[in-house]
Amino acid sequence: MAKKAQPQKPPVAQDIIDACLASAVAEGDIVNFRFLFLSYSPLRNDSSEEITADKYAYLRTADTSTQRYADALARASVGEVRQWVQKQLDKNGPAQLPADLLLLLGDNAVLLGKYTAAAQAYELLRIRRRMQEEFFVQADAALDRNEIAQAVRGYLIATGLAYDYAAFPEPLPTVPDFHNKALILHAEYPKSIEECVALQPEENHLRTALSYLLLSPEAAARLQTRSLETLRAFVLELVRQRDPEWDLFVKQYRQSCEVMRELGEHIDRNNLEAGSLADEAAEQQQTRHPEEISEALLGRKIEKGEWWQYMKELAYNHAPAVLFVSRQAISKDLEIVVPRHRSDSVWVRELGLY
Amino acid sequence: MSTESSYINYLEVLEMPEDCKSGEAIRAYKKKMKDLVIEIARVEITEERRSTFLLEMARLNAAYYILRDKDLREKYLADRAQVMQLEEEWHATVEKNPDSEDADRLRRSYDSVLRHFLSTYMEELMLEAGRDKECVEASHWDAAHERLATRVLRHYRQQLYREIHERLPYYEVTQPKINWDERKQVVAELLKVGA
Repeated sequence: MAKKAQPQKPPVAQDIIDACLASAVAEGDIVNFRFLFLSYSPLRNDSSEEITADKYAYLRTADTSTQRYADALARASVGEVRQWVQKQLDKNGPAQLPADLLLLLGDNAVLLGKYTAAAQAYELLRIRRRMQEEFFVQADAALDRNEIAQAVRGYLIATGLAYDYAAFPEPLPTVPDFHNKALILHAEYPKSIEECVALQPEENHLRTALSYLLLSPEAAARLQTRSLETLRAFVLELVRQRDPEWDLFVKQYRQSCEVMRELGEHIDRNNLEAGSLADEAAEQQQTRHPEEISEALLGRKIEKGEWWQYMKELAYNHAPAVLFVSRQAISKDLEIVVPRHRSDSVWVRELGLY
Repeated sequence: MSTESSYINYLEVLEMPEDCKSGEAIRAYKKKMKDLVIEIARVEITEERRSTFLLEMARLNAAYYILRDKDLREKYLADRAQVMQLEEEWHATVEKNPDSEDADRLRRSYDSVLRHFLSTYMEELMLEAGRDKECVEASHWDAAHERLATRVLRHYRQQLYREIHERLPYYEVTQPKINWDERKQVVAELLKVGA
């Protein structure tokens, strides 16, 4: 039986094509941008998909009043670019994306903090590594000038542009995975209280924080030769930029310390026999349980939550938080996450944790 | 532009001429493996060193495994020559007419042959060599090595793929015109925002 012919849709208007491209570029949205050129893109005249359909409204959701949108629209409306885009939309085969627009998309993605999108755009343009190095170089220069906030931003962008070439099945941008890194950081139960991450001498603690928060030992190594004061100022700013809701965590942390105090000083496992504290705590505080310490730290209760569940969620909500906690066995069946810090640590005090 | 360097040359790994005999290959392999094992025992093993040593061991195992077998050696040399030739042909065609159908056809052929070459000779056969009795004997390669090497080898293969990719004609995007002075300005402006 002969296949029924599809009704021909009217050609997609040029202003719609421009608007869709400008929207993706202005928002640094690499996924939408690539989608517009796929074989089933609604911008293609030979596709049965209609760009005017409600389901594609998201392709034009950028705020048209911004300078970013105006710049992107101007770039997309250049005669040469329009011609190239149309040629690719009419082409029977994979499209070749216009580099000009992609470059602007990458820059906008950096501006908006969408570093993985920027990494993909720069990778396609084969400039990712050089851009990454340029961010590092300028961040180091900012640090030399004692412009800490700018230096931290540079390091965050540069590390955000990293690529994982061992990702399966294809290389992909490296994504922040603090929830996994936190478990690696606390993988071994500290044999003595001094082995706790949070109780290291300040300089060691700062270096651990640097590697963990930058997600890159190589990036952290670039700061090896900096003085303790510079390092401290850098990490303090890094904590704030990594976790804009740090002050909320500080409140939870202090509350957790309060709960811990109320439950008594005897949570020092070196002075207790395994299995006895839970009973003792239950006797002394009929209505309170050691788990409340972890709950206060996280700001919510996880039903039948294990220590590692609290740790993962804590790292997900407030990445730097796991640098100021430790695992604590309460009995042979119960381990919790508790706040820990050195009272002589300058940076811990400056972070408002005590 | 060096096309040779990115397509692993197992003859170079063992420092052997193309017409080397199996006996020569095994002597070179055993000597190099012995030196490597001594080196591993001599230094403190960090994560980075572990990856480097695993990769070096896998390369030596694969070189010996491939070169000692006449058929496998010939197949490897032919595949290597083919992938290098296809790259050259593609470059030449793109220089004449980048939009031609021939250029597109060559790109597809090259990409498929390249992926096959990299996955076969820089991953699969490297792992297979690690299960070979003689290689196991010389390198003490075991299941734990294989488990760790899987990621290292995938990383190595993708690194090589990227190295090769960077010298190829642009096909996913149009060739960008990058002005690095202007890029430096952009980076400076991006750093100022929000700081």
